[in-house]
Amino acid sequence: MTTFLQVLMTGILTGGVYALVGIGLSLIFGVMRIVNFAHGEFVALGMYASLLLFQSLGIDPYLAIPLIIVGGIVLGAVVERVFIAPIIAAPEHVSILMTVGVGLVISNLLLFGFGAHPQSIFTWYSTKTVRIAGVTFSGPLSVSFLITLAVIVGLYWVLTRTEIGRAMRATAQNRDAAELQGINTGVARMLAFGIGVALAAVSGTLLLPVLYVIPTIGGVFTLKAFVVTVLGGMGNVLGAIGGGLILGVTESLGAAYISSGYRDAFGLIAFLAVLLLRPAGLFGKSRV
Amino acid sequence: MRDRLKTLAWLGAVLVAFTLYPWAFPTKLNLGVVIVLFAGMATAWDVLGGWAGQLSLGHAALVGIGGYTLALLSLRAGVPPWWGLLAGMALTGAVAAFWGWIVFRLRGPYFVLSTIAVAEILRLVAINWKDLTGGAEGLFLRELPRPFGLDLFNRTVEFYLALAYLGVALLVAWWLSWSRFGYSLQAIREDQDSAMAMGINPTRTKILAFMVSAALTAMGGSLYAIYLSFFEPHIVLDIGLSVELALIAYIGGAGTVFGPTIGAVVLLAAGDLFRNYFQQANLLIYGILIILVVRFAPEGIVGGWHALVRRLIRPAPGVPVEVRGERP
Repeated sequence: MTTFLQVLMTGILTGGVYALVGIGLSLIFGVMRIVNFAHGEFVALGMYASLLLFQSLGIDPYLAIPLIIVGGIVLGAVVERVFIAPIIAAPEHVSILMTVGVGLVISNLLLFGFGAHPQSIFTWYSTKTVRIAGVTFSGPLSVSFLITLAVIVGLYWVLTRTEIGRAMRATAQNRDAAELQGINTGVARMLAFGIGVALAAVSGTLLLPVLYVIPTIGGVFTLKAFVVTVLGGMGNVLGAIGGGLILGVTESLGAAYISSGYRDAFGLIAFLAVLLLRPAGLFGKSRV
Repeated sequence: MRDRLKTLAWLGAVLVAFTLYPWAFPTKLNLGVVIVLFAGMATAWDVLGGWAGQLSLGHAALVGIGGYTLALLSLRAGVPPWWGLLAGMALTGAVAAFWGWIVFRLRGPYFVLSTIAVAEILRLVAINWKDLTGGAEGLFLRELPRPFGLDLFNRTVEFYLALAYLGVALLVAWWLSWSRFGYSLQAIREDQDSAMAMGINPTRTKILAFMVSAALTAMGGSLYAIYLSFFEPHIVLDIGLSVELALIAYIGGAGTVFGPTIGAVVLLAAGDLFRNYFQQANLLIYGILIILVVRFAPEGIVGGWHALVRRLIRPAPGVPVEVRGERP
């Protein structure tokens, strides 16, 4: 029973970070109607940015988060303006190829700049654990989970309570109608992409204390983000939270009780099943 | 009809030009085999990705099934490679029929995502089913029989085998450029609903295209396995390979007879030239080129070339300036 609880809790904690990666992708899809195939590369970028900040300036990853968020938004907005805005009206395979290209450029530049060897950081809390009722919680993962919750609450507040959040939701619902209401949908898209990238980068920061990073790690997270968003419904930001938790728990339980070699396959099988049987996601149709 | 024969003549010329490669670059035979093989596999990808417009990022699975079928039949049952190649083609054809039957109800990004998922699941199976596939350690083809006394591990022999394969792939693409089937695929690509209204069954047509594409890809995969002689899931089943095939076809010109071949020559030769400089980061060129192509030449190098030629030979037709403005 304790083992089961242990496995379940680990799954939930990992799922929290997956959710954060997925929410960014879902927000971008909801507002812009494009699938960001470079999403995982922005996670990798966040990891390397935090690595650099830690190694050269000694800034703790958790303290670097505000910096990463601002940097992510700016970078995302620039990438959107330069690469995606010009092709936003083109058929969807065009934006897929464009983001694949952006992802390749990012991962190969990282390879160029940091080399292929795995790197990580060691902080005083990297191996700390907390025991509650016989279940061991990884310290960094628990903190990540709490920060993820805070970020999600913040995002929810921005989307529902601020003018720019409303603009983004309006753009997601109906671009033309939003424009008729005087909303600058170009700016809304730019910000949506910026926030999506920032969320991806922050997940990278949160994972750095518990993972080794290599320049090509992005592909893994792009896939995870796809699974999370499809489980939760493409463009459904709240659904992505559920999708992330389901993915985390499925992987964790599957790896513990069926086969650890197939850890990544369980999520993909669930993903295919949902794609084919319930393409709107597990939680209905609502968007953003 | 005249266009058709002209393209066929060009096709012959391209193949003849390639036959001279081993004399022109005797020290670069490895690169030559890879260029010709990837040109063939990108052309095979293009049957589905370009002509039918169904962007697949899972074709590595088909390369892998082709390669593994040949290798496993040879290693475990002593089946000669030519039968292994045919078995691999038949198997991937069947896999594609089933795979297409499942995923062609999805459109757009959902279809792309499903191809990635299926290919990734296959890769995980290949890594974990160690008794069958040798797992992550891979397979090593030590010896193969010699058809007509030809050593299949000789690079020159491999080059001409690959060239024959490219010839088959190009002939298929040429056939698509004028056949009814080819036009059905293009109709589906342009507008699936209108195609349906014209009496084309989109699902059946797409499944057929997938089967042709898959069998051709597997043929290339089998030859690739012989060329590598040692391979593992990370080489032949990786999503990187899927992306590479798609980008080669796209950068060269998707849905054209020669586009994928041109893409393979340009990208792989560039990769070789810059290898020392970029080292492992050689996919950087793919990333930069696909961004440029998508942004400035959506029809790839072939389309961009045609546009350039048109502009140079025939200046823009004399449309009065006021007519060119946006219509109300």
